Amino acid sequence: MNIIPLFVVIPLGSAFLISLLGKRIKGLPDSLANLGTLLMAGLSIYSIFLIKEVGVQVYKVGGWTPPIGISMVLDGLSSFMLVTVNLTAFLITLFSISYMKKYTAKWKFYTLFMLMLGGMNGVIITGDMFNLFVFLEIAAIASYALVAFGIEHEELEASFKYMVMGGVASLFILLGIALLYSLTSTLNMADMGRVLTAQGPSKLVLFVSVLFLVGFGLKAAIMPFHAWLPDAHPSAPAPISAMLSGLLIKVLGIYALMRIFFNVLGAQPAILDILLVLGTISMVAGALLAIGQEDIKRMLAYSSISQIGYIVLAMGIWTPLAILGALFHLFNHAIFKSLLFLNSGAIEYSTGTRDLREMGGLNARMPLTGTTSLIGSMSISGIPPLSGFWSKLIIIFAAIQSGHFVLALIAILVSVITLAYYLKLQRYAFFGNLQDKWKHILEVPFTMKLSMVILALICIMAGALLLPGVREIFLKPAQDALYAGKDYAATVFESIR
Amino acid sequence: MDLEFFRFDNLSNFVGIFIVFFSLLIIIYSFGFMRKRKGLAGYYLYIILTLIASLGVVFSNNLILLMVFWGFLAFLLYLLIGFGQKKNTHYTAKKAFIIIGGSDALMLLGLALIWRLAGTLQMDKLSIALNTKPAIWAYLCLAIGAFAKAGAMPLHTWVPDTAEDAPTPVTAYLPASLDKLLGIYFLARISMNVFQMNNAMNTFLMALGSFTIVAAVMMALIQHDLKRLLGYHAVSQVGYMVLGIGTGNPIGIAGGLFHMLNNAIYKSCLFLGGGAVEKKAGTTDLKKLGGFAKIMPITFVTFLIASFAISGVPPFNGFASKWMVYQGVIETAKNGGHLWIIWLVAALFGSALTLASFMKLVHTVFLGQPSKAHSQEPGARSPKETGPTMWIPTVILAALCIIFGVFAYRVPLRMFILPSLNQAVTFSGTWFSSLAGILLLAGIAIGFIIYLLGSAVKTREAQIFVGGEILSDVPQMRVSGVEFYNTIKEIGILKIIYRLAEKKAFDIYELLKKFCFIFTRILRFIHTGILTTYLIWILLGMIILFFVLMR
Repeated sequence: MNIIPLFVVIPLGSAFLISLLGKRIKGLPDSLANLGTLLMAGLSIYSIFLIKEVGVQVYKVGGWTPPIGISMVLDGLSSFMLVTVNLTAFLITLFSISYMKKYTAKWKFYTLFMLMLGGMNGVIITGDMFNLFVFLEIAAIASYALVAFGIEHEELEASFKYMVMGGVASLFILLGIALLYSLTSTLNMADMGRVLTAQGPSKLVLFVSVLFLVGFGLKAAIMPFHAWLPDAHPSAPAPISAMLSGLLIKVLGIYALMRIFFNVLGAQPAILDILLVLGTISMVAGALLAIGQEDIKRMLAYSSISQIGYIVLAMGIWTPLAILGALFHLFNHAIFKSLLFLNSGAIEYSTGTRDLREMGGLNARMPLTGTTSLIGSMSISGIPPLSGFWSKLIIIFAAIQSGHFVLALIAILVSVITLAYYLKLQRYAFFGNLQDKWKHILEVPFTMKLSMVILALICIMAGALLLPGVREIFLKPAQDALYAGKDYAATVFESIR
Repeated sequence: MDLEFFRFDNLSNFVGIFIVFFSLLIIIYSFGFMRKRKGLAGYYLYIILTLIASLGVVFSNNLILLMVFWGFLAFLLYLLIGFGQKKNTHYTAKKAFIIIGGSDALMLLGLALIWRLAGTLQMDKLSIALNTKPAIWAYLCLAIGAFAKAGAMPLHTWVPDTAEDAPTPVTAYLPASLDKLLGIYFLARISMNVFQMNNAMNTFLMALGSFTIVAAVMMALIQHDLKRLLGYHAVSQVGYMVLGIGTGNPIGIAGGLFHMLNNAIYKSCLFLGGGAVEKKAGTTDLKKLGGFAKIMPITFVTFLIASFAISGVPPFNGFASKWMVYQGVIETAKNGGHLWIIWLVAALFGSALTLASFMKLVHTVFLGQPSKAHSQEPGARSPKETGPTMWIPTVILAALCIIFGVFAYRVPLRMFILPSLNQAVTFSGTWFSSLAGILLLAGIAIGFIIYLLGSAVKTREAQIFVGGEILSDVPQMRVSGVEFYNTIKEIGILKIIYRLAEKKAFDIYELLKKFCFIFTRILRFIHTGILTTYLIWILLGMIILFFVLMR
């Protein structure tokens, strides 16, 4: 049996079941969602070993052989992304069990959650350009609704902004895909890559590149296309903030950008330079904005922009080492940013506030939240031996290796600012003297604790993924698949035969 | 690939031994000092982790491995400072961590440059000539890491703050001893093994060292907090070590390393003594202290010995190592140029001022009259020495001050320092030369002159003292010594500099913070939250992209 379609079928199916039965059967939304994400996390880990054994897998939807029908491709990069997404998603659903109790309609939440997850998995697994757009829209629309989930004034406003800008992005992406279709007469990504290589360079491809840069740049919140994110991410419930900041911007934005630009259109020097510039701008401005925030989730949201900047910068350097750094940082960021958002959720759960100035000394009452948050903060600031240190190390080494001295220096300085604002967060929230009004708050329930502890452990251990022997299993295939560039087409067609 | 992760040579063994030694002393001291505080399991865990990580730093052969331990130490320092109970403790912890963590990040850049230059990060395989720009940058990046950890200027500002706000054993442990050992160890390591130094870089180091000596000691003179004053001396002493290593000749480097060791000994002795006073008096504000010699004789004697040692009074250990540093500086005259005179004068001047400031300190804390405020404080009434766990470490350290001074050549130099160097050390001149004696006497004389200036200028009208009065009832009879040197604050240009320094105008952390927040404010200003503005950004971004790609 082929596991590839399961990544789409399980979330969509459970979304359907939850919306159908969730209102009537108590406990079903929780258990089904957790079971589904756990199953997919397991499957995605299995997929790594599958690829190691049999190579790239292609699933033909409805039996139509590509380039005619829709195909789903499981290569090193997609299986890497699947692990990142589904593992994190499982831990987030675990957290949601207790956290979402305060909202009335849990089943609506899980329905939208699973729809979003299905959309993300679809984007990762698909080998078809239009199909990618469809899944991208599923995930995006579900996320618009989830941002507005609290239906207060602030949430609705954020969601509206997000929707308008997301709509603009989708429009550009669709236009780009249509133009590419007119140029190549095919929608299969592998086939498209092959046709484009045969046709040689053209102005239209550059035009489409700009459309994609803007469209996916909006989804990834790269500056100057980021403005929706600082409103949207804090407004959502904490698990959704974690999903959006940890995963959604990476899957819809970064992954799609990487796949299309490197594997389909081919890595052009001009595009790489643009990525370098955009990445640096996001990195610097995101960090500078984050340090001025008082709302804990807003700070984390700006920090996401900054960290995405690191990934885009590393993509722009485009050496094998830089790609490794970009992918590893993507994985790490998914983990620690989810952790930090869940921590902020735990604080909100216990105290009901997101304002850093109102907190203080929370370590005394919530030691576990405090410790895991400290680990997450140190990891994202690049303190050894936590995971963020290693990915930043690789990115900086890659920058120096390829002669980008100034960019390396900027990356270093930004990491200092990152350290500064995470220490600010720690100082305001967890250290110092406990305020009287928080004297009787409680640590969060067990499942929330469990989820945070697992994420923190991954932060501590993730450096081990770079060890020789381990690297070959998880990171290397993804790095190879991406760095293969336009050989993607040949690989896919070979595996069909 | 043949990767040797750890390496044991004489230099690392020597530093390693003393790291263990100081850790043990601090743990013993902490039993007394930290009693009845919360979270002690965490405290001792961090101390032990610090010990392990420090050993990791000195025995690492691979630079990345070293970097991992090194960076982790900064994090541990942050956690340890957090055990302080002052109002500003968390701000200080944050500041220390940002300065050290920031320079650690720069070290990463240095590592990357070395990797680009040499293709390896094994320290025993590296020998990079400082003749290309990347090589110089790499050296500077690594040196910045060492400076920040050791507390050399201009990355020193976390040291006085930490000294004031952290628990005393932590200050004695990290900024005063371990961070000095590690920072100077690393500076020596990169200067001797990893890079081939040249004259220009050596001169730079010597200039920085001399500047640190004088500037920090000038700041120390005017402090009115016991621990903060000691903190500035901790900075000032780093100058001697940097100066010694900057000389680039064997005797200078040996002197620098010896001074590193001596400094760790007497500085932790001073801090531990200060901590004992703090524990008794409940404050470190000099205005409120006084007359502790009667209450705590053991602490007084050890403190006095350490004060002499740090001021370079023979026959204590500070003299021996300073003397070697001076010799190293004089040796550099052979390379031509006359700059060595400036370095030498700066070093001697710094030594004199150190003595001056310790006269103030010893007088204020241990001699003089107890202040009203202090005698009224609860807990201050028990006229007793501190517990043995707190005075035993200071006695051991004071004894070492004497042993390492009197038997300087026979014990520390021959056993530890000289084997660490690759080259043979030749002493120029005789060991206790008369020149040094005269210079030292001159130093003391300058100290006296400044002392006299401080107290002689001010006159005070008082009632006639007939004797028999109870001193504590006559407040004018109490000379606290806090304002001994306030007159130098009034001298011309120094006045301006001091005023700026007190406003933290020279604090690199505050400067960068202000610089950063200018941009933050601008960026926040343009994020209006209005959807149409954001859509215009998108449009503009798109137009620019079109222009760049399609032109």
